[in-house]
Amino acid sequence: MLELWDYLVQFAVTAFGFCAALREYYRARRQPWFLLTCFYATFALGTLYWTLHLLLRQETPQVFYVADLAWIASFVFLLALTLTLPAAEERRFRTRLCRLVPVVCLPQFILYVTYGDVLSNILMCGMTMLLAWFAVRGLVWAKRSGGARLRRFHTAVLAFAALEYALWTSSCFWVSDTLTNPYFWFDLLLSLVLLLLLPALRKAVDA
Amino acid sequence: MTYIENVLVCMAAPLLVTLLLLRRKQRPLLLFCLAGMGMCLLAAYLNTFFAQLYAADAVNAATQIAPVVEESMKLLPLLFYLAVFEPDAERFRLAAIVVAASFATFENVCYLTQNGAGQFVYLLIRGFGTGAMHIVCGSVYGRVLRPVWASRPLRAACLFGLLCVAIIYHAIYNLLVSAGGTAQLLAYVIPLLTALGFRLLGRQTAAQRQ
Repeated sequence: MLELWDYLVQFAVTAFGFCAALREYYRARRQPWFLLTCFYATFALGTLYWTLHLLLRQETPQVFYVADLAWIASFVFLLALTLTLPAAEERRFRTRLCRLVPVVCLPQFILYVTYGDVLSNILMCGMTMLLAWFAVRGLVWAKRSGGARLRRFHTAVLAFAALEYALWTSSCFWVSDTLTNPYFWFDLLLSLVLLLLLPALRKAVDA
Repeated sequence: MTYIENVLVCMAAPLLVTLLLLRRKQRPLLLFCLAGMGMCLLAAYLNTFFAQLYAADAVNAATQIAPVVEESMKLLPLLFYLAVFEPDAERFRLAAIVVAASFATFENVCYLTQNGAGQFVYLLIRGFGTGAMHIVCGSVYGRVLRPVWASRPLRAACLFGLLCVAIIYHAIYNLLVSAGGTAQLLAYVIPLLTALGFRLLGRQTAAQRQ
C-alpha cells in the first residue's frame, strides 16, 4: 500500500513538472524547456505504467519491464539537457574529481547485475553515471570560474543520480513495506529533487 | 486461425491497382497507407513469435510485448522516409498520421475477423479508442521528429525518447483495456482526450506563429 502511495506521489510530482515545463516551453520556445518537458513526460509515463500495473494486476511485470524503457528515455533527455546547457569552456574542462563517479557507481552496478538483467542495468547505470560525471565537472567548473548560473542545476542532477543509486541499492536489500524501509525515504527525496529541477533550470536559462 | 496475410492481400489489391492509375506526386499517401498495413502484418507475426519465445499469456503479451513491437514497426517506414527523402515538416506529419491510421484500420479489420462484428456499440467505442491511440502515437513521431532531425544530439535523444513515449503510452492503454470495467472505458476515452489536447496545442502554436 505504501509503495503505491509512494509511486502516486512521484507521478503527481512529475505530472506537475511536465505541465509547468510545457507552459515554460510554450512561453519561451527554448530548447532546454523542451528537453525538460520530455524528461518529465517520460518519467511520469513510466511511473504511471508501473503504478497501474501494481494496482490492476497486483504484481510487477512478468515478461518485460516496459516502464524501464520510459525511465531510460527520461535519462536520455536529462543527459541531452546536461550536455547542451553548459558553455563551450565548461564542456572542454577536465577534472580528476570526476573519476570518483565510477569508483562509487561501478561496485553498485556489479551488485545490480547479480539481481537483474545485464542490458537494462548497463543502460540505466551508464546513463546515470554519465549524468553524475557531467554534474561533478559542472560543479567544479562553477567553483573555479565563480559562475553560479548552472550550479543549482548541476547540484540537482547530481542529487538525482545519487538518489537513483541509493534507491536501486536499497531495493536489492528489501526490508518491508513500511516506513522503516529506506527505499521509500529515498524515493520521496527523489520526488523532491525532481521538483527542484524546475527552478534550477529556470535559473540556468534566465541568468 | 486467422489468415491475416489473406486479409492484407484483399485490402491491398485495390490500393495497388489505384497506384498504377495515379500520378507520381499523388502516390506517396497511398504508399504510406500500404506501409502501415504491411507493418501491422509484420508486427502481428513478431508479437506471436515473442509471445511464444517468452511463454507469455494473452495479457502479458498485450501489455508488455505488443506495445514494443508495434510502435517500433510503425516507426520504421517513417525513419526510412525521413532518412532517404528528408521531407518537410508538413509532409512528414501527414505520412506519420497515415501510417498510424492504416495500421489501426488493419488491426481493427483483423479484430473483426477474429471476434465477429455483432456488437455495434462496443465496436464503435473500441474502434474510436484504438484508432485514436494509434494516431496519438503517430502524431508524437510526426510532430517532433522532423523539427529535431537537423541537430545530431537532439535527433539521437528524441528518436529513442519518442519511441519510448509511444511504447509506454500504448502499453498503458493496453493495460487499462485488459483490466476491463471502468479502467477499460477510461482507456478508450484517454486517447480521444489526448488527440483533442494535441489539436488545441497545434492551434495555439499556429496562433503564436501568426
